[in-house]
Amino acid sequence: MLQVETVVKSFDDFVAVNGANLVVEKGDIVAVIGPNGAGKTTLFNLITGTLKRDKGRIIFKGEDISELPPYEICKKGISRSYQIVNIFPRLNVFRNVQVAVLSQQRKSHQLFQPAKYMVVKETNNILESVGLLNKAHSIAGSLSHGDQKILEIAIALGNEPELLILDEPTAGMSPEETSATMELIKRLAQMRGLTILFCEHDMDIVFSIAKSIMVMHQGRALIQGKPEEVRKNPIVQEAYLGIE
Amino acid sequence: MWGKEERKLFTEVIRSKWFGFSVGLFLLLLILPFFIPRFYVYILALIFVTSLLAMSLNLVVGHGGLFQFHHGVFYGVGAYTVALMLKKTSLPMWTGFIAGPILAAIIGFIIGWFCVRLTRLYFGMLQISLGSLIWAIVFRWYSFTGGDDGIPGIPMPPLLSSSKGSYYFILIILILCLIAMYMILKSPFGNTLQAIRDNPQRCEAVGINVKRYQLIAIVIATFFAGVAGVLFVVLERSVFTELLFWVLSLEIFIMCLLGGWFTFAGPMLGAGIIVALRTFVGIFTEYWTLILGIMLILLIFFLPEGVMGYLEKIFKPRTKEAAKGGSE
Amino acid sequence: MDFSAFSSQFLVGLSRAMILFVVCAGLSFVLGVLRVPNIAHGSLYMIGAFATFSLTKLIPGSAGFWIALIVAPLLVALVSLIAERALFCHLYQREHLMLLLFTFAISLILGDLVKIVWGAEYRSVSAPALLKGSISILGASLPRYNLFLLIIGPLVAMALWLFTNKTKIGKISRAAAVDREMVGVLGINVSWVFASAFVIGCYLAGVGGALVAPIASITLGMGHSLIIEAFLIVTIGGLGNMWGALVGSLIFGLTQSLGVLFWPQFAIVFPYVAVVIVLLLRPKGLLKSVW
Repeated sequence: MLQVETVVKSFDDFVAVNGANLVVEKGDIVAVIGPNGAGKTTLFNLITGTLKRDKGRIIFKGEDISELPPYEICKKGISRSYQIVNIFPRLNVFRNVQVAVLSQQRKSHQLFQPAKYMVVKETNNILESVGLLNKAHSIAGSLSHGDQKILEIAIALGNEPELLILDEPTAGMSPEETSATMELIKRLAQMRGLTILFCEHDMDIVFSIAKSIMVMHQGRALIQGKPEEVRKNPIVQEAYLGIE
Repeated sequence: MWGKEERKLFTEVIRSKWFGFSVGLFLLLLILPFFIPRFYVYILALIFVTSLLAMSLNLVVGHGGLFQFHHGVFYGVGAYTVALMLKKTSLPMWTGFIAGPILAAIIGFIIGWFCVRLTRLYFGMLQISLGSLIWAIVFRWYSFTGGDDGIPGIPMPPLLSSSKGSYYFILIILILCLIAMYMILKSPFGNTLQAIRDNPQRCEAVGINVKRYQLIAIVIATFFAGVAGVLFVVLERSVFTELLFWVLSLEIFIMCLLGGWFTFAGPMLGAGIIVALRTFVGIFTEYWTLILGIMLILLIFFLPEGVMGYLEKIFKPRTKEAAKGGSE
Repeated sequence: MDFSAFSSQFLVGLSRAMILFVVCAGLSFVLGVLRVPNIAHGSLYMIGAFATFSLTKLIPGSAGFWIALIVAPLLVALVSLIAERALFCHLYQREHLMLLLFTFAISLILGDLVKIVWGAEYRSVSAPALLKGSISILGASLPRYNLFLLIIGPLVAMALWLFTNKTKIGKISRAAAVDREMVGVLGINVSWVFASAFVIGCYLAGVGGALVAPIASITLGMGHSLIIEAFLIVTIGGLGNMWGALVGSLIFGLTQSLGVLFWPQFAIVFPYVAVVIVLLLRPKGLLKSVW
């Protein structure tokens, strides 16, 4: 479904991504792991169009999306959540998700209809599936950190994506919240037929959920393969798992 | 057009506590001209015009998050357009009234198109430079625009020439514009615009072409600024280059801040307070600017949410946020 | 067109650019370190001019001007220090929009204070005896005062360069412009760095005002027209960049003075057109911004 082919991205002198490769098959759950600074978030930014790559190609469902702006890429079916909470703090939870749903249904530009009563069913659906329905009218900025991270995912779901990219979805969560969230993600993936690409630091989670793991180190992909292969690979063990 | 959703919103508005207050205020404003001296009727009309201008600015600043530093330009363009058309051409007067806002919106589109490619401070600086360019041209083109003398003695249709006539016309247009602005802010477009204000990057990620929406918002806001400019000419029967000078643009900013720029009616309140104060303080002293400066400092230190924002904080108890109540 | 008219206008434009540069260097410096465009800069420039007027009235003869040139900017610096320590420094944690509005408030207050102290009439100051009259350069007759400006400008540039690159305070200011948190972590009192940068920038505004006093009419509106020009110059030069302020001032001063040769009525429009063109091609300014 998604192919990243030797993508390179540098900032002035610093090469953040140095010929990374990634393959995501439809229906997969793929994890990207690597030490801090390996270039994971930059890679995600390149896929979603926030950054433009210097070299290489990114192909989604057979189409080259390397040059597209973020809003076009979203319309193609890719949604993401962010490592550092990136919600609409002044709006309430309902409106946070509603923005995405309205955009998905191409109704964002309408000028003279009251938005309050539009796409209520779809938005509430999403809120219910992530467990935030009872907080629909709370101001997003006042939620707990864990709930904000869940809201992150809910907003991304608003766009009915085919590929959902999650950047450290459990960062900053307690162990209970973390396992609850990962269960949620697994459930959502099954229910909605999502393909998931995520990155995480918690190795237990990664190895329990992911069907394919890509190991990143200093901007390039060391290896991508099934969890068992990755776990046994000596280069990976030396470079990353050993230190971890 | 009046589908189920519109009827629900209508019922909700009628039941809200502000509605009764607004209707009462409106009726009061309707009968007031018969009971108060002409000067106060003029001041009220001036407040209406300035309110419309402040509300139009707040569409893009408070609700859109843009650094629209030279909004006055579009006000001035609207005013000068109608002034020039009424004074120098023999076209029917209503064409001037329509041309004003349209030309303001066109200039808004052109300036906006260049400005939205930049962010924040650079947006504001480019707008100031483009706006100052227009000011400089109008200022110097003595033969056409009257230069820094302005254009006095603009003819008006008889219905609008009297004190009461201009008052009611301005009030009606103001109300119509407010209704339109309210609907726009409550629409998907308005909601999306506010989301863009809070987090433009996330909006891009959910499929919104942020620059296009910002540009549309600017065109709408500059259209209303043009309407305000036309109303200014109806009231004053003249135009001046001060309308295009940056000081006025920042004053409107202050009005939005004073009233509360995250609220709907805040800018109107700010405009009302400033115009009223300016008039009455002006009777006692010629140092109004000093007072305005001190007020602004007090505002920055003690009331950054503006008067309206402060009132809302007092009257909206915390528990309401968890209840089913409003989604605003 | 005749060469002497051209060179005369060229030199006039150049000398006007020098005054603009002195003012804009100050504005750019404050912008670079505090990241706030100081709207009050125009009013401080105006105070510099009015103070020069009063000092020349107080001290008769040419000495009056030379003393004013030293004292007036110090007065302006004092005013700015008071505003900064009393009010401004408490706002450093707020968003930049609030700081900008604060400087606007100060410009309103100072504007009326000037009206209270000096009244609303136009004032004028005559140049000191040494700089009266003109000399002949490049086939044109250039007022001596303008020649003086052509010398002062580069001197100020050099002094500012030495300050930011060779003195401790200057280097710390440059560091604070780029990364104020780091400077704080190093144990340096960031608040005092801001205060000094602000005062120095405003001092330069005062110098500009003192320099312009003999060649322009000293009016209540002079701050307002200047601040727009200064803002635009600083923007096309590159925010916080002193050499950018120089380039911008040259563009502004020369397009206006040479514009007089082509279309006298619209001469003031030319600089704005130039600014618009620059910003459309290079929206972030011609030279690199300091941040």
